[in-house]
Amino acid sequence: MAGRGGDRDVTRRSMLGAFGAAGVAAVAGGALGLGGVRAAAAQTLGQNEPLDAALKRVFGGRPMKDGSGMVKLDVPLIAENGSVVPVSVEVSTPMTPQSYVKHIYIVADKNRIPIVTRVALTPDSGQAYMGANIRLGETTDVRAVVEQSDGTLLAVKREVKVTVGGCGG
Amino acid sequence: MSEIGKVRLRLPASIKPGDVVRVRCLVIHPMERIERDNQGKIIDKKYNYIDKVTVTYRGKTVATFDTTQSVSENPFFAFSVKATEPGKLTVTFHDTHGDTYEGSADIAFS
Repeated sequence: MAGRGGDRDVTRRSMLGAFGAAGVAAVAGGALGLGGVRAAAAQTLGQNEPLDAALKRVFGGRPMKDGSGMVKLDVPLIAENGSVVPVSVEVSTPMTPQSYVKHIYIVADKNRIPIVTRVALTPDSGQAYMGANIRLGETTDVRAVVEQSDGTLLAVKREVKVTVGGCGG
Repeated sequence: MSEIGKVRLRLPASIKPGDVVRVRCLVIHPMERIERDNQGKIIDKKYNYIDKVTVTYRGKTVATFDTTQSVSENPFFAFSVKATEPGKLTVTFHDTHGDTYEGSADIAFS
């Protein structure tokens, strides 16, 4: 019984690995043509993986600068209900066609699916701002990673204490 | 469940030309989360959740959200748009079952 379970686990793992490789390829493609293929993008983002793997897959080990001066991450200190946690991110840098905020990522460290959302912005937004309601499985750090049009990554993180987890499964 | 796909969009009451407008939007959607069986294995099925949200203003894409199952049920999103001219602002939600839900509002100057 245990042996059979182990076998199944191996196949599942190898399948996940295959997906991961496909994801890396898709990210590389997406970097070239902004937007990328819709199907590929859907597969790359929402994956069940540990935080390190997710960060490596999405950002490819690029260095992240501390963005606490420029990026304002607004999260509650204590979230009573983890299934609805309001998050908003505001970046103070101006949005000009030459230099603008290209992506804002929201990452919840301990979620089973750590990458929560990625927002692609254009200079037409006027200001780099986004808000969303997210789920948090347990007390965790929430990060906002801002990618500027020149590729610089700025990261900030804040801890949110969760009384009742919201991720279920 | 007939409520699914209802989109609500909220703009500030008065907008002046050149203003950066903060828009809030909400869609009624279950955003199914991952289910597991008694052994803790993930049940393999096509989960229905919203994975893409696009915002267009006067036919031009302003912002795109790629979302995962870590986003709440009945997802709420906020973003900003620079209101240059009167026009239509459309928010389209796509879910993994191929359905799209759309909401729009007119940006008019008062």
